[in-house]
Amino acid sequence: MRRGLMQWNPEELPRNALDTRLALLREGLRAEKLDGFVAYTNIARGAAVAWLSGFQPYWNEGLFYVATGGDTPVFATALSKRVAEWIGSVMPVGEVTTTPKPALLIGQKIAHNSGKRIGILELDDFPAGHAQLLLETAPGIELIDATAAFAKARAHVDEAERNLLNHAARLADAGLAGIDPAHTTSAQDLLGPCDEQARKGGAEECFATIAPDLSLSASYLRTDTAGPLGRSFAVRSSLAYKATWVRRARSFTSDPALAVRYAQAEAALAAFKAPETGRLDPAIRAHFSSKGMEVRSWLAEQPRGGYPLTRVAGSNQGDDVWQAGAPFVLDIELSLGGARWLGAKLIA
Amino acid sequence: MTSPAHQARLKALAESMKADETDVLVLFGNNWHADHLRYATDFGIQEGQGIALVRADGSTTLILDDAAEADRARDETKTCEIVYAPSLVKEARNLLSREGNRKIGAAPFHLLPYGLLHGEKDLRVADGTNVIERLLMTKLEIEMDAVRRAAKLADEGYAIFRDAARPGRKDYELVAEIETFFRTKGVAENFMIIGVGGQEVRGMAPPSGKVLKQGDMVTTELTPCVDGYYSQICRTLVVGEANEAQKQAFAVYLEAMEAGIASVAAGVTAAQVAKAENDVFRKYGLGDYVTSEYTRVRGHGMGLFPDQKPQILEDVHIPLETGMTIIVHPNTYHPAVGYFVLGDSLIVRDKGHELLCGTPRQLFSVTSH
Repeated sequence: MRRGLMQWNPEELPRNALDTRLALLREGLRAEKLDGFVAYTNIARGAAVAWLSGFQPYWNEGLFYVATGGDTPVFATALSKRVAEWIGSVMPVGEVTTTPKPALLIGQKIAHNSGKRIGILELDDFPAGHAQLLLETAPGIELIDATAAFAKARAHVDEAERNLLNHAARLADAGLAGIDPAHTTSAQDLLGPCDEQARKGGAEECFATIAPDLSLSASYLRTDTAGPLGRSFAVRSSLAYKATWVRRARSFTSDPALAVRYAQAEAALAAFKAPETGRLDPAIRAHFSSKGMEVRSWLAEQPRGGYPLTRVAGSNQGDDVWQAGAPFVLDIELSLGGARWLGAKLIA
Repeated sequence: MTSPAHQARLKALAESMKADETDVLVLFGNNWHADHLRYATDFGIQEGQGIALVRADGSTTLILDDAAEADRARDETKTCEIVYAPSLVKEARNLLSREGNRKIGAAPFHLLPYGLLHGEKDLRVADGTNVIERLLMTKLEIEMDAVRRAAKLADEGYAIFRDAARPGRKDYELVAEIETFFRTKGVAENFMIIGVGGQEVRGMAPPSGKVLKQGDMVTTELTPCVDGYYSQICRTLVVGEANEAQKQAFAVYLEAMEAGIASVAAGVTAAQVAKAENDVFRKYGLGDYVTSEYTRVRGHGMGLFPDQKPQILEDVHIPLETGMTIIVHPNTYHPAVGYFVLGDSLIVRDKGHELLCGTPRQLFSVTSH
């Protein structure tokens, strides 16, 4: 669950930024001749609703309905009635209703608006129970996948989002800054302070994970399963600040022979700039293929739909759907003369 | 190697599938509802979504739509085949189409992806809730061990919380200290909400930046997760000395919680436990405050999900069974002092209960350090 700071600050996320986002979405809905749009949200898939409204549920689930015609959006959530007022205080857009059956309420709103063609974000993944209830409550409606229409609007990256991303990146950096491989005894002792720094700085969520022995594996594990630390390890902080997600990973070593190479790789990651146009793969390989470095794999993620971050390009991915000019998270594995090194960073 | 608890769960699940004549059980999950997936695969999903296909012969395929999660699952889960698929639905439909004309059940049914059931050709998938729901509610002895360990960490966590609470601190800083403690103890997940203030506070929520001040009540429920199993504790503390109204309120909640706990035994219904709690409030003229206007539940089950059936409410007539792990918490708004919480976790036994929480049942006071 989300248990860090949840608060709306109009200076960080101005109401007019949200109004612009909604207007862009409505423009897309009109172009597709859709009468309305419904997005599902929970802690795993809350990014789209958070982008539109500034809020994602800390627990449970909800539906966010935007009528193309311009009525106030409606957020119906199965969270309990007692938190409705609190939600209203941290969610600047939309009329909040708590109900055990969010789809019933949204279906009634759609029927009231005489909606027929309703766009659903990520229709394939939309919960079947909610879809069924929408169809029953608003007879005659057609559910149409509106993922592309949303993505078109979502391509707009405003100053508020860039600032939130940069702040989140600073919190993630702070969590990793205090790690000293020479004075660490266990993965668990590393992950605790990493989480603490992030949350004390106001992170809404922090998933701190560790690849505890880079000589064995590149998999990031949680505190409950991470085994003994090797001489070289990597820590990754996936962090949300005001529902805006970044990842930051750093590799650490207590092997003096490797330490210089690790520092060079970290410097190379810090210096990486995305190309203004074109594909990422050649740019990444050119940047990191020097000084004894070799790219083993890489992955780029950007926010696109319901998930906080979506894979948009990668070394094992044929089609780049990366949006040039928009911030992204680069997760990369290098070979430094045969030694594994992992890193991740927001490329803003 | 799979854990002994997971082995025991797989055996129980196989027996339940056989009894229901289910050939393939489709289990869906994500970081919110991770319980069904965890039961069958022992994987604690953190990002993305997953679908497990559990076959009657015990072979299981876990499909994950996040590549890093699939890598983690390969490291952590040795009993099932792990498949990374950017389109969960497409991959699951593809695998299910190979199962032929077999009986397929799925849970949690209402959360299943729409595309899994409705595509070019609709799949015939039945609601498989009855195959797994009772297994989730009533724990095996080996599962109870994990719940006990989680309860011990809840106690330790509350001691950290009390120590962290002092005037001038922000609510999210308290949460940060708890989370730090849990991470260092190998706890990856925790359900936690908090309330800070007085009469104006109607419930708990995530922290919103409130600064603790003298006279505030600070309510919280901590729910650490150990090996996938949650256990909860609810307590209220006062910043400074408690006033008379707060002390009197506490006495009511203590009496209600103890009445609820005393009523717990196998065969007793959730409704009877709720009534035992609520009758205490009614006795003191606080009957209005046990309605849905002011409170959600009077306790609930816990296990691989922190808030599972049975909900302790006067209209829930599910009989308690030996092995259910529940919390009894008469948490609600009090008109004189605000939202107030008190709750202990326990295991239902044939003739009573086994108490899991060891933190004293008192209204704690904290002062400046």
